[in-house]
Amino acid sequence: MHKHREHITPIQLASIIISTMLGVSMLAFSKFVVDGSGSGSPLASLVGAIIAFIGLLAVVLLGKRFPKKTIIGYNETILGKPLGRFINVLIILFFAILMGLETRQFAEVVAGALLPNTPIQITISMMILLCAAASLQNVATFAYIHFFYMPLILLPITIVLISAFWDIETYHLFPIIGHNSSFKEFMSGGLVVTQAILNFFVISMVIPFMKDPKKCIKSGIFGFWIGSFFVVVIVIMSLGVFGEEEMKQMFWPTLVLGRMIQVPLEILARIDALLLISWIYGVFTTLLSYYFVFVRGIGELFRFRHDRIISLVGFPVTFIIAIFPQDIYQMYDFILQVTFYGIFLTVFYPVLLLVVAKIRNKGGVSV
Amino acid sequence: MIFRKKHIKNENQKGKWPLNDARDSLNNRKLKKGINDNVADVKNIFQNDSDFISRKFQLCGTITAEALFISTIVDTDKINRDIIRPLQEKRQDPITDFTPLTLDKKQERRKKDFLQWLLDDVLYHCAGETAEEMQSVINALLRGKTVIFIDGAEEALLLDTYKPEKRGIEQPETERVVRGPREGFIEQIQTNIYLLRYRLPVPEFRVEPMVAGNATKTKISVCYLDNLASKELVNEVKRRVNDICIDRILDAGYIEQLIQDNPRSPFPQIQNTERPDKAVGNLLEGRVVILVDGSPFALIVPAIFNQFYHTSEDYNDRWLVASLVRIIRFVALIFALTFSSFYITILSFHPELIPAKFVVAASSGRAGVPFPVVVEVLVMEVSMEILREATVRMPQQVGGALSIVGVLVIGQAAVMAGFVSPITVVIIAMSTIGSFATPSYNAATAFRMLRFPLIILSGMFGLLGLSVGLMFIINHMLSLRSFGIPYLAPVSPGNLQGFKDSVIRAPLRWLKERPAQLHPQDVTRVASGVKKGSANTLQDNEGGKSDA
Repeated sequence: MHKHREHITPIQLASIIISTMLGVSMLAFSKFVVDGSGSGSPLASLVGAIIAFIGLLAVVLLGKRFPKKTIIGYNETILGKPLGRFINVLIILFFAILMGLETRQFAEVVAGALLPNTPIQITISMMILLCAAASLQNVATFAYIHFFYMPLILLPITIVLISAFWDIETYHLFPIIGHNSSFKEFMSGGLVVTQAILNFFVISMVIPFMKDPKKCIKSGIFGFWIGSFFVVVIVIMSLGVFGEEEMKQMFWPTLVLGRMIQVPLEILARIDALLLISWIYGVFTTLLSYYFVFVRGIGELFRFRHDRIISLVGFPVTFIIAIFPQDIYQMYDFILQVTFYGIFLTVFYPVLLLVVAKIRNKGGVSV
Repeated sequence: MIFRKKHIKNENQKGKWPLNDARDSLNNRKLKKGINDNVADVKNIFQNDSDFISRKFQLCGTITAEALFISTIVDTDKINRDIIRPLQEKRQDPITDFTPLTLDKKQERRKKDFLQWLLDDVLYHCAGETAEEMQSVINALLRGKTVIFIDGAEEALLLDTYKPEKRGIEQPETERVVRGPREGFIEQIQTNIYLLRYRLPVPEFRVEPMVAGNATKTKISVCYLDNLASKELVNEVKRRVNDICIDRILDAGYIEQLIQDNPRSPFPQIQNTERPDKAVGNLLEGRVVILVDGSPFALIVPAIFNQFYHTSEDYNDRWLVASLVRIIRFVALIFALTFSSFYITILSFHPELIPAKFVVAASSGRAGVPFPVVVEVLVMEVSMEILREATVRMPQQVGGALSIVGVLVIGQAAVMAGFVSPITVVIIAMSTIGSFATPSYNAATAFRMLRFPLIILSGMFGLLGLSVGLMFIINHMLSLRSFGIPYLAPVSPGNLQGFKDSVIRAPLRWLKERPAQLHPQDVTRVASGVKKGSANTLQDNEGGKSDA
């Protein structure tokens, strides 16, 4: 009845992580992983996931240490106002840019696979509008949205992966550490995975709205590994089915996997378009998380409580970022660059923050 | 609080019912001593209304008295038999020296005793009271009470003689069931309360009276079980009903619109029912039922989306059958919303989805059709809606003719004329029938109307448009609350116990808890399902033999 009852449960937190992690990049990222580390990709993705996991651990520990504050709040507490605010601006900027670029990526996939004749501007504005409308709601609704869409995202992915299982050629997967790949090459593939899943960071904005923020550690780890499991399996399946050389030729290996599915009973001839619907759900939940960080972050940073106005202003901002890249190649360049720097912000920075908090003895039970 | 403030009562009472001159002068005035003055005042208000009756008589054969009532809303037999006759009878007055002219302190008290004596010893009538103010006398008259002025008394007797005209209890029109009680609510609130009380003989059952509507002064009853319903919920319901400020409440629908959480939403957030068994079932889950005088619909708050495709019959049938029927209803609802737009999407944007064997049939049927699929479907859907609306409003005698015209023109002739393709007709028929399979009329209407934007979106952007449109709808539903309860509970936020009574209906013995999202005071609904004792005494009975 009251607001205090509309808390986020641990399961909802886990679902926020899962459906945020599985998003736009799921169609494309496996290509970039294989580009980097070849047949060593499965192992590299696992390493990449573990790197991201370090960041997640830092974020949930910080969440436990500051159960009433979001990252925007405890940044200022730990680092002092000027420096904290500077980092906050960086975080918000990072998610705004990521939002724009990933929306563009979404629009490119839609133009390539669903609607070749529709201008990408329309697709971009539809998606941003959807996110803006949903971000007006309170945090509980944000969690409900993620919880509701999660099965709609996981189920089709599972179907695709299981049906792809029979087409795996095992020789594509060996040797497991890659053909004479250097450590640098190996890691460059692994870091792509870290870049693809660093959006788990949004939970740092959600943890203080939990009923018992101390439970965030368990559910955060739980959700992270379910999401990572799917990410790693997508890499294994697409590599196993297509092999290293073939994958370098295609942009969206996961979509091609979906095209290979045959439906029994001949209800529909091909279902890749239907799988794209479920992927659109995944895209929406991911982009909604970015937009949520953007809107809530600005609101908290500037103590500005009119979310509607921020959402409205965010629309042209993200739209301009989205149409900025010239073409799809430039777009992927941008995405890889931005998310590469994002690793510092979302993985190394929280660890650093945790250490500083311990040294300066900030947070803990008393705060 | 999540509740948004909606109908805040105007502090300056802007929407107050305007008083006419005669009544304005009587406002806040006490009754006078002289009987003629009082009667004249009342007569001044009602002037020569045809049903306003006054009758003079001698109380106990000595004192002048006058009975006033409005003949159309009272039981005149009751007045003659139970009021005038005992009052006129000459009896031994215990306070014999009551005369209007001698008044001192002692007699002042005795006079009060006199009225009390009349009520206690003389009248056979059960509901009687005294009043001092003109205002309450007039209100009482309008509520079907008989007013008796007695010469010399500064108080009047108000005796309840209300007798409304009412129809009998019939089978409800909207929620028909194959198996289950046939009783439905009627317009009279007293009968409706009876129908609930009859099924709930427990002292915890509360029926709180309230009034809303400046002109209609409609009686409203807020019913709940005070050992189950959450206190917060009950208080919130009462607060919202109290805050209503409007001149009329002509049906429960007014209340529904004035107290719901989000008035801009197409989805109903309050359930209405004509069935007392459904109302009692919901009371026992910890919900609140609002009865409104003059409306055969009871309102059930809070309502979640799941309830709108449930019927009371689901609980009367065996669980497997009931669950299957519920799933079918749910599928029908999805059909009603998305079938036509999905058809457009496939035909005009993603023909690769059509199986090879079916391509010829799909394209040859559309050979001579002059419009794109969107226009074709849109025209058909609109004409279907027109047909539906016409059938509802038509007198029953002409209804048959209408359905023949509808079937012939829309089904047969339109296809033969090459106006629409036969497959489109099938698709439209399925989506229309799908919406009729939903038991709750208002939820079905919401879905039927929402399919028009979906049709336009999918006509413009194919699968993208369809899924974005669906997401808009789902996101909106996820953001809705009904009296603070998430609309899509128990799906999101998830609740395993609640899920047993959602798309499926688990066996009654498994439904151990009342819905958790309602925060009932007592959670357990079923302790163990069967009474303890030997499992089945008939088990070893070999056909017809008995030990006894």
